[in-house]
Amino acid sequence: MEVETGDLIVGVAMVVFGLIGLTLAAGATDNEMYVFGLSLTAFAAVFGVGLIRRHYDKAEAYARKENGHG
Amino acid sequence: MANAVEYNDDVVKKFVIACVFWGVVAFLVGVVLASQLAWPELNLGLSFTNFGRLRPVHTSGAIFAFGGSALFATSFYIVQRTCHTRLFGGEALANFIFWGYQFFIVMAALSYVMGYSQGQEYAEPEWHLDIFLTVVWVCYAVVFIGTIMKREEPHIYVANWFFMAFILTIAVLHLGNNLAMPVSLFTAKSYNVASGVQNAMIQWWYGHNAVGFFLTAGFLGMMYYFIPKAANRPVYSYRISIVHFWSLVFMYIWAGPHHLHWTALPDWTQTLGMAFSVMLWMPSWGGMINGIMTLSGAWDKLRTDPGLRFSVTAVGFYGMATFEGPVMSIRSVNALSHYTDWGIGHVHSGALGWVAFITFGALYYLVPVLWKREGLYSTKLASWHFWIATLGIVFYITSMWVAGIMQGLMWRAYDAFGFLQYSFSESVSAVHPYYVIRMLGGVLFLTGMLIMVYNLIQTVRGPARQSVSPMMAEA
Repeated sequence: MEVETGDLIVGVAMVVFGLIGLTLAAGATDNEMYVFGLSLTAFAAVFGVGLIRRHYDKAEAYARKENGHG
Repeated sequence: MANAVEYNDDVVKKFVIACVFWGVVAFLVGVVLASQLAWPELNLGLSFTNFGRLRPVHTSGAIFAFGGSALFATSFYIVQRTCHTRLFGGEALANFIFWGYQFFIVMAALSYVMGYSQGQEYAEPEWHLDIFLTVVWVCYAVVFIGTIMKREEPHIYVANWFFMAFILTIAVLHLGNNLAMPVSLFTAKSYNVASGVQNAMIQWWYGHNAVGFFLTAGFLGMMYYFIPKAANRPVYSYRISIVHFWSLVFMYIWAGPHHLHWTALPDWTQTLGMAFSVMLWMPSWGGMINGIMTLSGAWDKLRTDPGLRFSVTAVGFYGMATFEGPVMSIRSVNALSHYTDWGIGHVHSGALGWVAFITFGALYYLVPVLWKREGLYSTKLASWHFWIATLGIVFYITSMWVAGIMQGLMWRAYDAFGFLQYSFSESVSAVHPYYVIRMLGGVLFLTGMLIMVYNLIQTVRGPARQSVSPMMAEA
C-alpha cells in the first residue's frame, strides 16, 4: 500500500514543527517560549507516531481484504 | 445515492467531544470569575489564580475552544452532507486540524495563566501562538473550500456561504490584528505595529468582527442547516437567506468603532461605526425571522424535540441581542452603558442565549446521528437542561442590566456644587448583590451543561439503532 500524499505532507510538516520547537526551546529567553518549544516538539513527535500507526493499521486492513479475510 | 459517499465523521466526532469538554471548562472558569468579582478573597493571593489571568482563559475557552470546536464540527458535518462528498485533503490533514487546534487552545490557556499576553482583547496569545494558529486555520480553509470545490451538487447551500465568510474573514482579522514585532525570535514578548488610537481602532475592528463572523456568521450557518433538518421543513425563504448573507457581511465589517465612542477616535469614525451598527439591525432580524418562520407548520415539534427548542430559543436570543447591540451603539446611549456591566449582560445574552443554545441544539441533533443511536438517552433531561439554562440566562442578564444602568447613573450623578455624588467604591458596593445573582445564573447554566454531558454520554453508551428513521436520515 502506497503512502497517501496528504499523510506525507502532514508528516513532513511535523518534522519541521519538531525542529522549530527544539530550536525555540534551546534558545528561549523566557519560560513561555521554553514551554512552547518543548510542547511543540512533543506534539509533532506524538502526531508523527500516530501517522505511522494509522498507516500500518490501514496497510494491515488492506492486506486482510486482499487475502479475503476482511 | 447520498449514502454511497463515505463521510469523514471521525473528525466531526472528535470536535463534538472537544466542544462538550471545553464548554464545561469555560463555564466553570466563568463561575469562578463571577465568584471572584463578588468575593475578591477568592483570587487567593496567587498570581495564576487572579482575575486578570483567568479572564482570558474564560473568554478564549468559551469563544474559541467551545464555540470554535462547535463550528469545526458542524461545518465539517454540513459541508460533506450538502456537497455529497468526503472532506478534501485526506484523514491526516483533518486530524492535524483537530489536534493542532486543541494544541493551540491548551498552549494559549497555559500562557495566560503564566502571565503572558499581548494585551489585545480576545486576541491575547503572543506572536508564536498566533503563527501556529494561522497554519491550522489555513489548513481548515483549504479543507473546507477544497470540499466545496469538489462537490457533487451544483448548488452551494447557504450554510456553506456563512461558513466560508466566517473562515475567510477570521483569517484576515487574525492577520491584521496580530501584526507584531517580536523582541527576538526566542522571546514571547512582541509589540503591535500600531500604537495608540490606531491600535485601538484595529483592535475593535478585530474584536467586533470576531463577534460578527466567528460568533454570528458561523453559527448562522449552523442555524440554516439544523433548524430545517430538525423541523423537517425547508428554509422559510431562501431569497431572504441570500439577502441576509450579503447585507450582514457587508455591514458588520464597519461597525467596530462603536466600541470607541467618546475616545480619541475621530468623531466621524465613531459616527460611521454607529450608523452601520444601527443598519445592522435589519439584516439580523431578517435572518431571525427566516429562522423562526422555518418552523411554520412544525411548531408542535417544540413540545417533543428539546434540541429544536434550544435552536429556536437561540434565534430568539439572537434577535434580542441584535436589537440591544444597535441601541447600545448609539452614542448617547453608549455614554451611559459603556464601561458598565450592561455591556457584560449584552455579551452574555448573545454568548449564552445565541451561541451556546444554538450549539446545544446542534449537539442534541448530532450525537445520536453520529453515534448511530435511535435518539437521545432522555428527552426529559434535555428539557431540564433547557429550563435550568434559560433561568440561568435570565438571572445573568437581568442582574447585569440593573447593575450596569445603576453604575452608569451613579458615575454621572453630581450634586448642587458640581461635585460627583458618588465615589467609585460606592458604585462597586452597590452592585455586589447583582454580582451574586450573576454568579447564581452562571451556576445554573453550568448545571444545565453537566446534565447535557450526562445525557450525551448515556446516549453514546446506549444501544445502536436498528433502522434509519426520517429524523436520523443523514443527507
